[in-house]
Formats: sequence, structure tokens, C-alpha cells
Amino acid sequence: MENPFAEEPKPTSAWLWQVLTGVGLVILLGLHFIANHFVAKGGLRDFEEVVAYLRNPVILCLEVLFLLCVTVHALLGVRAIFLDFGLSEPAERRLDQVLKAVGFLTVGYGLAVTWMVIR
Amino acid sequence: MSTLNYRKLSRSSRWLDVRRRRLGMWAYVLNRITGLGLVVYLYLHLVVLSLLLRGPAAWDSFVAVARSPYVLALDVILLAGILIHGLNGLRIALTGFGIGVGAQKALFVVIMVISAVALWVAALKIFRV
Amino acid sequence: MNMLKVPLQIFRYKPGQTPGYDTFTVEIPATAHVIDAIDAVWTSHDHSLAFRRACHHSSCGSCAIRINGLEKLPCVTRVTDVWDGRSQVRLDPLRNFPIVSDLVVDRADFFRRMSAADMAMICEAEAFLPFTVDTFAVADLEPKLVELPENFSRFTRFEKCIECGICMSACPTMAADEKFLGPAGLAAIHQARKKTLDPVKVEHLLGLADGEHGVWRCHSAFECTEACPQAVDPAGKIMALRRELIARRFLKMLGK
Repeated sequence: MENPFAEEPKPTSAWLWQVLTGVGLVILLGLHFIANHFVAKGGLRDFEEVVAYLRNPVILCLEVLFLLCVTVHALLGVRAIFLDFGLSEPAERRLDQVLKAVGFLTVGYGLAVTWMVIR
Repeated sequence: MSTLNYRKLSRSSRWLDVRRRRLGMWAYVLNRITGLGLVVYLYLHLVVLSLLLRGPAAWDSFVAVARSPYVLALDVILLAGILIHGLNGLRIALTGFGIGVGAQKALFVVIMVISAVALWVAALKIFRV
Repeated sequence: MNMLKVPLQIFRYKPGQTPGYDTFTVEIPATAHVIDAIDAVWTSHDHSLAFRRACHHSSCGSCAIRINGLEKLPCVTRVTDVWDGRSQVRLDPLRNFPIVSDLVVDRADFFRRMSAADMAMICEAEAFLPFTVDTFAVADLEPKLVELPENFSRFTRFEKCIECGICMSACPTMAADEKFLGPAGLAAIHQARKKTLDPVKVEHLLGLADGEHGVWRCHSAFECTEACPQAVDPAGKIMALRRELIARRFLKMLGK
């Protein structure tokens, strides 16, 4: 009988990306937090302030990067939890497809809202 | 040979059984719980941001609600989740590369102390504003 | 000799029956180990009690069970260390293994995981020595490769690990993921990788560890290292494998 544990599996970079986006988030979330709750008067921005904030190109880049990082990190984390459910191979592949779709939708939604606000 | 796979908890919830577990396991469980909480918060936050599309009136009235003490209290809980998840995540990143594996328990204690102190300071600032 | 009357609460299961606990009170010397208490149950109370034991000195790994919820080797755990003098001492089989009967678990998949690292039976140091010589007494003996008889493969084993399965029981990922190689399996891969110079074998071993159910599935609970009775530090070995895998990926990206 073949030893299933002796067969080389597909390599994966998921954990590495989890760590990289995590470290990125410590920085980006820190900046996001400072910009929105320390720099902003009274700790919260009203409508006009939000628009002005997002129209700043540096801020816009950082916020988009933040959105990407947080979506990747969050969905990789959710994926890790699901992988502990003892899924079959096809189920694992379907999980990856679903989460990828959710990821694209999330980032797409965030970019769309941002675009419509700063227009 | 018939064997028994004897489990009271289903496979998906066995990680919640922290009886007789040590600090490393507590760190893992806390990270998972805070992570799930933060995912929920993330999507709530993204949905709330759609209020911006309804114009200044909708957004500014939301900001007024956001200043209420109930929401601020929730913000403190959110911050606790962020601190624990973020700092513990850095600990996992370090130990995952083999750095400080021998000190993993001490690192966890330090992280929880820092989180508690930072949370206390933040709560003071949030409620004084 | 100071004798103790120790109450034990032992997990019982026979195929076709509902699992449960039986209580026994055994009279044993105060210096006895938990395995002696289990022996006493079998001898004087219930011959149907199924349990494993062999060397009685933490070399074989057969007797591993959970005592009051914690994974231990009962052959080197004194009763007085786990008994408060009043409450029952609870004995359960290891977690994350299918239970055959009572305290006996099915180790087949566990041994398959250890075999994946393709390590073998005797200490490498022994393979370098003439069979009959007590080398520690012969200071000027040069270690040299010994001609082994035909069909006698050179075996080198995972020297510290006694394959008791305690780390596999303590690991929360083993509880969740049946395909996980586990702390013992991954530590064995690390040891085999350290011991070989054959680049093809190194690639294969690292490849085994590099999958979704290899080193990356570990959630850093460190329960394995805490529970290991032989100070193997499987968690440390998993992290060392991770570091090597990432370094290789990085170098490959740079085109080396």
C-alpha cells in the first residue's frame, strides 16, 4: 500500500503571504489609525474631510494598499480556519475559488466606493 | 479492526477545547477569536463606508452616532482585538521564522501586558475626547 | 514499605459498547509509577483492561497516555506526582488517534508519517563502529564506515524521539486536520534532512514538508514541545524547516 504521507504535495506560500500582509498591516493600519483618529479633529472625519482626505494621492495609494493587505490577510485567515475542518481535496479547491471571488469582490467594492467618493 | 474515533467536539471546534492547555495554545485560540471578530468588523466597516455615497447628511449623522458612548465602548473592544491580534501576530511571525522560539511564552506574557496598558491609555483618551 | 490506596478513573471502550469510565482503587507502593498502578488494575481487578507497556524507562514510547488530561509517559511518572491524595486519577488514551480499546490506540497512520521521512533503525554512530568493540573504552579508535553484511541496510534513527505519539496527541492541528504530518512527522523530516547530504533526498524531504498539510499547517500552539518527554522540541524543528523553505524560495526568486 502506498504511503500517502510520502507523496510530495503541492508547495504553498499561503503562510508566507499571511505573515507579509500581517506585518504590512501593522504599519498600514497604524498609519490609517493615526490619520483618521489622531490627525483628524475630534477623532472622526465628517463628509468634506473624508473627500479631501481621499483626494490626497499619497493617502489614496496607502489606503488602497491597506485595502489589499487587509483583504488578503483576512481571507487567508478564514481559509486557514476552514482547512482545519478536514475537507476533501475538491472541497479545498472550491474553498480557494470562493475565497478568491470574495476577495476580488471586496477589493472591487472598496475601490468603487472610493472612486465614487473622490469624483 | 473496528476503532473508535471518540470525540465530543466536532473537528471544526476542537481548537476551542483549552482545558489543561498552556500559554502557546491560549495565544493561538485568542488570535483565532480576535481574527474572526476583526473579519466581521472589516465587513461591517466596509458596508458602513457606503454611507458616503448617500452624501454629507447621511455620513455626518452616522459620525454623530459614532461619537455616542455605546459605540465608543465597542471601539475599545475593537482596539483590544486589534492589539492582541496584531502583537500576537508579530510573535507568530517571529517564532515562525525560528526567532525566539524558546521565549514564546515570555513573549506572550509581554504582549498581553503591553496590550492591557495600551488599551487602558486608549480607553482614557477615547472617553475624554 | 509505604503503601497507598489510589483511586483510578480509567477510560473504557470495547468495540460495540458505549465508551465510558471505570473506577478502580489499587494498593501500590508510594514510590510506584502510574504504569504500575495500571498493571495492578489488570492483575487484581480486570483482565479485560487493554493497555500498552514495554520498557518501563521511557525508551520505547509504547505506554503514552493522558493522565488527568495531560499527555505523559506513565512509566516515568510517579503516582505521587499526579495524585493529590484524594481525587481520582483520570487515565485516557491519547487524543487524535483512533481508539482500539481502552487505553490502546491505533498507531498505523502515525508510523506511516514517520516512515515518510524514511529514517531507519539504529543510531548512526553505531554504524560507524565495529560491532563488538566497546569504543568508549578505546580512545584512539578512528570512527570508520563498517562493512555491513549484504541485505543489511544502514539504518539511522531519530535518536531523541521515541515515537511515543505524545506530541501528536497534544497538537491542536492534529485534532483538526487528518492529513497533517504532525509535529513528530515534521521533526523526523527535519532530522532526516539534517542527516543526509544527498541533494535529491534533501529536495524530496523539503518537498514533503512544504505542502498545505506540512509545516505551514502548524498554528504555533507549541503544545508539542511542552508535552514531549524527550526534549525533541518538534515546534523548533518545524520553525527551522520553515526558515529553510523560505530561504530557498527567496534564493530561487533571485535566480540562484
